[in-house]
Amino acid sequence: MPFNAIPAEDFLNREPELNYLKGLSKLKANALGGDVFLDGARGMGKTELQKQLYRILFWENNVVPFYYSFKTANLKGTYFAQDYFTGFVRQYISFVKKDPSIANNVAEPLQRLMPTISSLGLYWLIDCIEDFQGHVNKNDFYWQLVAAISAPVMAAQKMGKPVIVMLDDFDEAAHLYESSLGDAHGLISLFGESMRNRLCPHVITGSAGALEPIFTDHSLIGMTERMRLGPLPEDLAIALFRAHLTNLKITCAPGVQLEFLDLLRGNPFYIKNLAKAAWKMQKNVITEKDLIECYSFEVSDGETAFYWASVFSRYVKNPAQSKAMLKLLMHAIENGGIEDGKRLSMVSGLGEAETETLLNALTTSGIMRVKDAVLHDFIHCLYMKEIEGRNVSDAREKIEAKYIQEREESCFELVIPMSSNAELVVAKAVEQIGKNINLDAEFLNYLQLALIEVCINAIEHSGSYEKKVFLKFITRPDKLEIIVENSGRPFSLESIKEVPVEEKMRLGMKRGWGYKLVHKIMDSVKVERVNDRTRVILTKNIDNGS
Amino acid sequence: MKSVQFSVASRREGDAAIIYPKGYLNNLSGENLVIECGIYIGKGITKIVVNFSETDLINSIGISMLLQIIEDLKNIKGTICCTNMSKLLRDTFEMLGLMQHMLVFPVESDALTYLKTGKL
Repeated sequence: MPFNAIPAEDFLNREPELNYLKGLSKLKANALGGDVFLDGARGMGKTELQKQLYRILFWENNVVPFYYSFKTANLKGTYFAQDYFTGFVRQYISFVKKDPSIANNVAEPLQRLMPTISSLGLYWLIDCIEDFQGHVNKNDFYWQLVAAISAPVMAAQKMGKPVIVMLDDFDEAAHLYESSLGDAHGLISLFGESMRNRLCPHVITGSAGALEPIFTDHSLIGMTERMRLGPLPEDLAIALFRAHLTNLKITCAPGVQLEFLDLLRGNPFYIKNLAKAAWKMQKNVITEKDLIECYSFEVSDGETAFYWASVFSRYVKNPAQSKAMLKLLMHAIENGGIEDGKRLSMVSGLGEAETETLLNALTTSGIMRVKDAVLHDFIHCLYMKEIEGRNVSDAREKIEAKYIQEREESCFELVIPMSSNAELVVAKAVEQIGKNINLDAEFLNYLQLALIEVCINAIEHSGSYEKKVFLKFITRPDKLEIIVENSGRPFSLESIKEVPVEEKMRLGMKRGWGYKLVHKIMDSVKVERVNDRTRVILTKNIDNGS
Repeated sequence: MKSVQFSVASRREGDAAIIYPKGYLNNLSGENLVIECGIYIGKGITKIVVNFSETDLINSIGISMLLQIIEDLKNIKGTICCTNMSKLLRDTFEMLGLMQHMLVFPVESDALTYLKTGKL
């Protein structure tokens, strides 16, 4: 329902977008604007922006707002037409009478509203209802849809007052059907007429991937502009979280910086859910550690988990597909993306064709492209439960341990060119990093040597066109981990043969010492291939006792 | 770690040549070291002392160059003495099994005394 928007004072940082949308009907009337597609990550507040716009327009009285959220249950054309049409009529009367309860009372049949409509003198609306009912009585599928979709245009023309049509999850309209799923492609294009009308700007949300073919439909092409909703800046994200906590009567412990919120990347939906999780977990005074605890609840069992589980369920038809999708997503997270090839069907456990269908669905949904730590943690939790057979508390413990550990670690990243003596820059950097964590000065010399060797190996043998080496230094109280990555020719430790010095001299082989040194210096050396990159992971345990 | 530009200096003392590599011993500087030693070997010198007091860092390519010098001297039944090595350098050579192919002395004078008298 459009009236269940959050308080305007808690809706932060969207004033420019709101102002633009408020003026959209004027822009469209002057052919300076058209319809707007709200683009942004899930949870970024697209629906909320529509609802806030609705509330403003409702009370300002210059433009009639109409909000409709597509529902999976109403994709049968006749159900949709009925729902859309009655929804519009209710919201229109509600607007004219300035009585939100009329819009909210979805159970009241239109017939009961007839006296109100008459009293308002909206006789054209009565005609409209009767016409629609006529199409229903004649079981005229096509005209039911057309009458419903064009109702806002009709109202705008009759009253001379623009109607802003807000269509939430509009991509679902691509699945409208007559009697069974998929039997009537292209019904979404019936919106074209309404969207073209100068008195009816449309504000649309939906998956960008799914809507792309819709906007390129010849009836809708070129009519829509994209408005990108970015994340809240860090300070506003914290302010929003604090506002939610205040509403829930929760306070922050003294000195709490709420640094953990960085993980939510300014996503208002996640921020709200985390605050609610704190409330559900009966926290009165919250600490950073509590946040991690609440977060693990959210991604395993909370509203965020429920939300993502619902999104996932759209793309799978049975439990086998669900597990396969989970395996593919986990594979993508662990490998920084998904590569082509037959190996994926081995990952998913399904046949090649079914795997491809699943991948296409995931690509269209946009889930695959999302670099969202919260989504990744949700997937990880679900994977632990569904694939590894762990219980929820185990999964939560894992997530908590990850972030508690991360809080104790610091991370440095460095990129060097594959050029002469660039490895010395790395040696210099690791020297300072080592000093920062009080590494033994003598060991630091060895560490420099090991890193120089790994870098030289990458520079000399990779044949990389990128000509860059990427390094990441992760320091923890008990361990130093260095990740060295480069594109180019694959390399594996198995390819290195141990040859004694005498043999080297005899054979005239004087090279090939590097990894021998690296192995002697580090506690662990691992080499992985990630897409087109070779990743070397060097680990050194830090003995705090010595 | 100091960031000194590599250079190599040398001098002759009696029938021995003393080489002073300075800075980071890698492929390019290693080649210079091989050339410098080669000049003396070409003049008939079979005793070479490499004083590492100013070598702050070495990589595996530099080590392979050193192996070349060891091999060149071995072919003419010569002797290589390494002196003033840092612990890192000593340990590195140790790790790679190079120590048995060279004579190691704490300081240059010890190496020269040995080469002159055959005694430590």
